[in-house]
Amino acid sequence: METFLQVLANGLMLGALFAIVSIGLTLIFGIVKVVNFAHGEFLMIGMYLTFVVTGWLGIHPLYTIVIVAPLLFLAGAATQRFIIQPLMSARDDHIQIFATVGLSTALINLALLIFGADIANTPSGGLRTPVEIGPVRVLSGQLFILIAAIALVIGLRLFLQKTQTGRAIRAVAQNRAAAQLMGINVNRIYVLTFGIGAACVGLAATLIAPLYPTSPNIGTYFVLTAFVVVVLGGLGSIGGAFVGAMVIGLIDSFSGFYIGSDLREVAVFGVFLLILILKPSGLFGKSLNLSHVSP
Amino acid sequence: MTDTTAASLAAPAADKPAAGRPRRNLIALVLFLAAIFLVPVAIGDQFVYHVFITICLFAGLSTAWNIVGGFAGQLSLGHAIFYGIGAYAGIILMNMGISPWIGMFAGAAVAVVAAIVISYPCFRLKGPFFALATIAFLEVFRVLALHFSGLTGGATGLMIPLKLGWEWMVFRERLPALVIVYGMMLVSLAAAWWIRSHRLGFYLVATRERESAAQAAGVSTVKVRLIAVSVSAALCAMFGTFHAMYLTFIEPAAMFSLTTSIQIAMFALIGGIGTVFGPLIGAVFLVPVSELARGWLGAHALGLHGFVYGIVLVLVVLFMPNGLMGAMKRMFGKAEPERGVQAASVAATPRASERPAIGHEIMVADHLDKHFGGLHVTNDVSFSLKEGEILALIGPNGAGKTTVFNMLSGFLTPDSGGVKVRDAAGNFVSPTTPGDFAAIGVGRTFQIVQPFAAMTVEENIMVGAFHRFHDVGDAREAARETAHRMGLGPWLNAEARGLTIGGLKRLEVARVMAMQPRILLLDEVMAGINQTDVRRAIDLMLSIRDTGVSIIAIEHVMQAVMSLSDRVIVLNSGQIIAEGKPQDVVRDPTVIEAYLGKEFTHAHA
Amino acid sequence: MLTLENIHAGYGATTILQDVSLHVTAGEVVTIVGANGAGKTTTLRTIAGLIRPSSGKITFEGEDITKLSAHETVELGVTLIPEGRQLFSDMTVLENLLMGSYRKAARAAQHDTLDYVLSLFPRVKERLAQNAGSLSGGEQQMVAIARGMMAKPKLLMFDEPSLGLAPIIVQQVFEVIDTIVKTGATVLIVEQNVFHTLKAADRGYVLENGEIVLTDDAEALLSNDHVRQAYLGI
Repeated sequence: METFLQVLANGLMLGALFAIVSIGLTLIFGIVKVVNFAHGEFLMIGMYLTFVVTGWLGIHPLYTIVIVAPLLFLAGAATQRFIIQPLMSARDDHIQIFATVGLSTALINLALLIFGADIANTPSGGLRTPVEIGPVRVLSGQLFILIAAIALVIGLRLFLQKTQTGRAIRAVAQNRAAAQLMGINVNRIYVLTFGIGAACVGLAATLIAPLYPTSPNIGTYFVLTAFVVVVLGGLGSIGGAFVGAMVIGLIDSFSGFYIGSDLREVAVFGVFLLILILKPSGLFGKSLNLSHVSP
Repeated sequence: MTDTTAASLAAPAADKPAAGRPRRNLIALVLFLAAIFLVPVAIGDQFVYHVFITICLFAGLSTAWNIVGGFAGQLSLGHAIFYGIGAYAGIILMNMGISPWIGMFAGAAVAVVAAIVISYPCFRLKGPFFALATIAFLEVFRVLALHFSGLTGGATGLMIPLKLGWEWMVFRERLPALVIVYGMMLVSLAAAWWIRSHRLGFYLVATRERESAAQAAGVSTVKVRLIAVSVSAALCAMFGTFHAMYLTFIEPAAMFSLTTSIQIAMFALIGGIGTVFGPLIGAVFLVPVSELARGWLGAHALGLHGFVYGIVLVLVVLFMPNGLMGAMKRMFGKAEPERGVQAASVAATPRASERPAIGHEIMVADHLDKHFGGLHVTNDVSFSLKEGEILALIGPNGAGKTTVFNMLSGFLTPDSGGVKVRDAAGNFVSPTTPGDFAAIGVGRTFQIVQPFAAMTVEENIMVGAFHRFHDVGDAREAARETAHRMGLGPWLNAEARGLTIGGLKRLEVARVMAMQPRILLLDEVMAGINQTDVRRAIDLMLSIRDTGVSIIAIEHVMQAVMSLSDRVIVLNSGQIIAEGKPQDVVRDPTVIEAYLGKEFTHAHA
Repeated sequence: MLTLENIHAGYGATTILQDVSLHVTAGEVVTIVGANGAGKTTTLRTIAGLIRPSSGKITFEGEDITKLSAHETVELGVTLIPEGRQLFSDMTVLENLLMGSYRKAARAAQHDTLDYVLSLFPRVKERLAQNAGSLSGGEQQMVAIARGMMAKPKLLMFDEPSLGLAPIIVQQVFEVIDTIVKTGATVLIVEQNVFHTLKAADRGYVLENGEIVLTDDAEALLSNDHVRQAYLGI
């Protein structure tokens, strides 16, 4: 029983980790309608930034958020403005896919060029301290991630529901042409949304860097799972991404423990393929047209 | 997704207006291909050999990928699966004492099975979702290859046994490897060229451009894509076997790698996606750059060549979306066909002296019911069409007319009720899929025109003509005849996307006419064409009817309805509210109320 | 107020409008008549800035708006109520209306405008909290018109407001449009119900294959033989 609870707790912690990485991705996916294959590399950049800033300033890694998140906002906004926006009118999806795949390849190798293939360890800042909750143990950093993920979901919901800009973002996602006719500058909304999505992953990076070693390929490791989470949760659904992440976290944790750690990915991707093929709108999505964001 | 360079390269030379150009193209191609073989042989340097072997390998893989990713438009980022399967099949069988020449085909067979199993459920996924699914499958294959280490050696990988010679495809020198991979590349190119210049290629591109229109033209879209993916997978697997022998060592991370998949797709993209020779050109330009960068810079700057690669990819996408082939076409190609002279009208049609008598029922709609969500779109709609008859279907927007058409052509299945069609032999059958309907001689147009935008007008019509002809030449001839009849003669070689709405409407009719259907479903074909053309179109339709074709037409142009139809059915809110001769129907108070409006009557009075 | 001079426009390589010139004077109700696909919607979309003309010039209140994007045109006071309603279907009716007054000039007076618009559309008022997607077609069209009014536009353009609606609802939509017209609004309207529109309008243009072939007072058009034959089915 105790083992079961521990595996359960591990699954939830892993789920929180996937959630915080996926929220930005689903936001971009749902609103800009672009599959950002470079999303993982934004995470990687964020983790390296955390590593570097922590080293330079000698501050607690969590404090780097005030630098990392704005920088990633700029990186995301620039990506949208200079790479995606010129391709928005492209006749086919493959053009945008290749653009972000190219960006991903370039960023991974840029990191390799600057930091080499060796891993970079950000100081843990006490975030690897075990915390006992009843019969299970988790790391304090993991709890932070869970809290941050929940806060992010609620915060984005409020932003999208209650503010004029948030409403404009939803309007653009639901009906781009009609939004233009309301006087909304659609391109600016896209740049803003891409920026926010990247800033979210910046937040994730500062929380993850103290727990996981950083390497040029770390993004690839996370991003495939993030895609699974986003599809599972229903594209563009922030709440769905959170729940989807928990589901994937649990599948990963339980299949790793009960089936074999080397086959975890088969379980996760198997679920992904089943969902994609049987219910492409995701477990919590409403329709395939991706035209809505339900906060 | 593509440009028509492939078509102009692939099309039979004799038909083209400038007969000198294709011949020059052909000579250039032969010289280019010969150079790929002769340059390394002439230089004789080990590294140069290696570069050219890699060029041939990736050109071949990328050409094979392009059959699926380019022609069929299914953006696979999982093609390393097939390459990996070929590699493992080759080495595993070689360890059992079986020559890779046989292993190659075994691998190809396994890859074909894998390709069909993977692709079949994925076909309804579009764009990025298809790409994501292929990546997921690739990850699954990689993890399974690591897991079943008894077979694959797991993470330690597999080494080939030291057996040299042609029998084992393993050599100390580089020349024999070049000979083999060069030959394989030629096979790959030939396969791509053959497909693009035959019916299969037209069907693939049509399916990519507009799946529903392709289905309506009788294309079995699932079948043609499965054929494409099978050919592509088999070729990739064979290259995989070769490469395993060349590398002498394989492991899951390198064989089932996303990077390899991306590279394969990238050469096609950079060369010119969807063109026959684009992938070759992409590989010829990029492989040397990458290999040299790896050789010269690799040691000093880890990741530099990958960085350059990524940047090049982004820049190509931004500034050269049609790839090197597109850029070359712009530089050397002829100017776009002139536009603006769109007004050429439908040719006046000589009428047959006598129309055949209206015969027995040929199509029966039986209590058709259809709901969309809470909306009752068609409510118990029953009617029949008689042989040689023209039946008009009118009613307000949203009355369910197009829904009825979709059920009469297999695009929608009614919730209850059914459609029966009399086949050529005189028996009533109940077709269900668009393919069944097309096969039995039901042709349809779409209210919202569905051109194969990247194909020329001639190629668009040929897709319809292929319903009757296997041979490209025959289909082309039939398409031209139909085009002239429909007044599309001047635009045969123009891309469909350049036509006006009126032109596209005519193209829509031309494509279905080329199928020579027995029953014709026309959805608002008169919309947006001017008065003179309406009159000509009416004559054209009457002449079609006189050849014994039965027609159902959805139409708002009352002038056409009145002068064309033998019978009119009025649909309102999903129900038939009137049926009868046109003169009677327009006087029916319910019809005036629901559709024509009181003003219509006032204006008539 | 609005003039189009020798406009050529289309989608991608496809030219739809050929040399279209027209004008709308303040306080006028003008209609464009034509078959499906003749280019009526394209004309409105070009004025709204959703399509950039390949040549020609558009001015609004003396200002050149040819190259403006849709959101900039809206700021100047040109509002298009698009074909097929185009509501934000997962947002509530109230949110839809509030999006209508996104325009800076309308934002300050948002609440007053809302009261005024709701007084014109009592049916919409009952539905404020509902998701726009859950409304019937007729109600959606009312919301779309109300949303257009929320922008306090100087020029209001209607694109096929009766499209896909039951005749009885069409009647209601026309009543609403008549009400708006009576307030002295400047209106440019495209509508398949040619007869009714011409009765409500001051002037009309006849568009065929992307070219203006005829223009006259609405009354004169109603008795014009060509119009009667081609568009009234007589």
